[in-house]
Amino acid sequence: MHDFTIPVGPQHSSMKEPMCLRVKLDGNTITDAWMRLGYVHRGLEKILENKTVIKALYIAEHTCGICSFTHSLCFIRAVEGMLNINAPKKVNVLRVITAELERVHSHLLWFGFAMHEIGFDTLFQYAMRERESILEVFERITGNRVHHSFNKIGSVRYDLTSGDKIFILEKIKEVENKLPLYFSTVTKNKVIHARLISVGIINQFEAKKFGLVGPFARGSGVKIDVRKDDPYAAYKEADFELVTEKGGDAFARLIVRLREIEESIKIVKQMIKALGDEPIPKPLPSISLPNAEGYGRVEAPRGENFHFYRIENSLVTRGKIKTPTFINISVIPHLLKGKTIGDIPVILSSLDPCFGCMERIIVVKNGKEEVLKEDEFRYKYC
Amino acid sequence: MRNMIKKSPWISIFNASSCNGCDLEVLALLTPKYDIERFGCVWKSSPRNADILIVTGPTNGQTKNRLKKIYSQMAPAKKVIALGTCGITGCVFRDYYNTRQKVDEVVPVDIYVPGCPPRPEAIINAVVKLLKKL
Repeated sequence: MHDFTIPVGPQHSSMKEPMCLRVKLDGNTITDAWMRLGYVHRGLEKILENKTVIKALYIAEHTCGICSFTHSLCFIRAVEGMLNINAPKKVNVLRVITAELERVHSHLLWFGFAMHEIGFDTLFQYAMRERESILEVFERITGNRVHHSFNKIGSVRYDLTSGDKIFILEKIKEVENKLPLYFSTVTKNKVIHARLISVGIINQFEAKKFGLVGPFARGSGVKIDVRKDDPYAAYKEADFELVTEKGGDAFARLIVRLREIEESIKIVKQMIKALGDEPIPKPLPSISLPNAEGYGRVEAPRGENFHFYRIENSLVTRGKIKTPTFINISVIPHLLKGKTIGDIPVILSSLDPCFGCMERIIVVKNGKEEVLKEDEFRYKYC
Repeated sequence: MRNMIKKSPWISIFNASSCNGCDLEVLALLTPKYDIERFGCVWKSSPRNADILIVTGPTNGQTKNRLKKIYSQMAPAKKVIALGTCGITGCVFRDYYNTRQKVDEVVPVDIYVPGCPPRPEAIINAVVKLLKKL
């Protein structure tokens, strides 16, 4: 029997973002898989260079549209660490509220998409409906739906009014009321079980070996979470559970993310209670920074997010961004081997990849030492 | 309104190195709140089946030629929407090493929707304007 190699992507149905996956098939079984990346590479780390800190904050936020607040929080953590600024408690509480709302919106988006992949469009529409209520909250408290631009150095942009607090509580109540329905559907529906259970299994040992992070690792029973390991902002005061599941398959990851939505809603409620009445400080007008290096790490919806910055003459001269998807994507070829074509969308989406985040790297292979034009290169290698 | 909906165009979206923000807002169009199916539009993943192509983000070294290819795969009477400030001017990514040309220098663009990202209402407005053109 012949082996076939078929391309999946870069423009394909299972994801909004471009990625080219090539799979080698023996009948319907995948024997080998490899990826070609770089479709969303924009050179963000280069763009960050020679910018003032205030400009760089907005650029760092534009790394990704789904977890944009997390990137700005990571930047702020690095810069505030360099400047030895301790933001007041209220500012930290507001940051935690926004970060957790972002986690809820990201997980709902993922949940909807995972259901869409297996053909369960009803739950996709339900999940997207709940997600809209979170976006309404974002629009009210930060002014924007996607790129919030909420963080300032030493402060945040807006304070919450008493009306806002009631609005947030109303909206997250709407989401919370719908969660039992999702849980019962997911745990009882036999179609979902058939598509997700025992698909893309990675055990605890392998998860540690690949260095996986976020809900992906927690689905395999690895207890890893920056919010617990290295608490930042106001997470020390938050009382929440580190959600882990033992299954290690796509279904376990689904349950981890759904339970994390519950935990995030719990944190938001606690934080709104802890919110004081004092006014938020004004952001620093102009900053002259000492020459320094600093890093920040936060728990993004997809796992650990790490930023490193070097500052010379008040300008950022080096930025390094390491995002969770960049770590997690390495496991995909390993997971795909031995599976069938129908499992590709499920396995890919169970990773919750975010390519806008990830693609800041291009690997150039120059083993054969031959000079090719762009078209020849395409003909030969693409 | 009824006269306007004589055609029901199918929409495909291509991410030419966007940050995801615009794609999320296009996704919001499929939700019950905005529901673009009111205007007869359905989201299709394959550009061969689509009449309207939404392009988000500035083009980069890899997506520039891919965008040309995808445009040529579409059936005639095709329309293109350039979504977001990145695709229109380059935004913060303009003039950097991996950003190539603006979307309208690669393929002909019919409607520009500025914003970072544009609101779903703005995208609906653009689609409705295209419906009148078709």
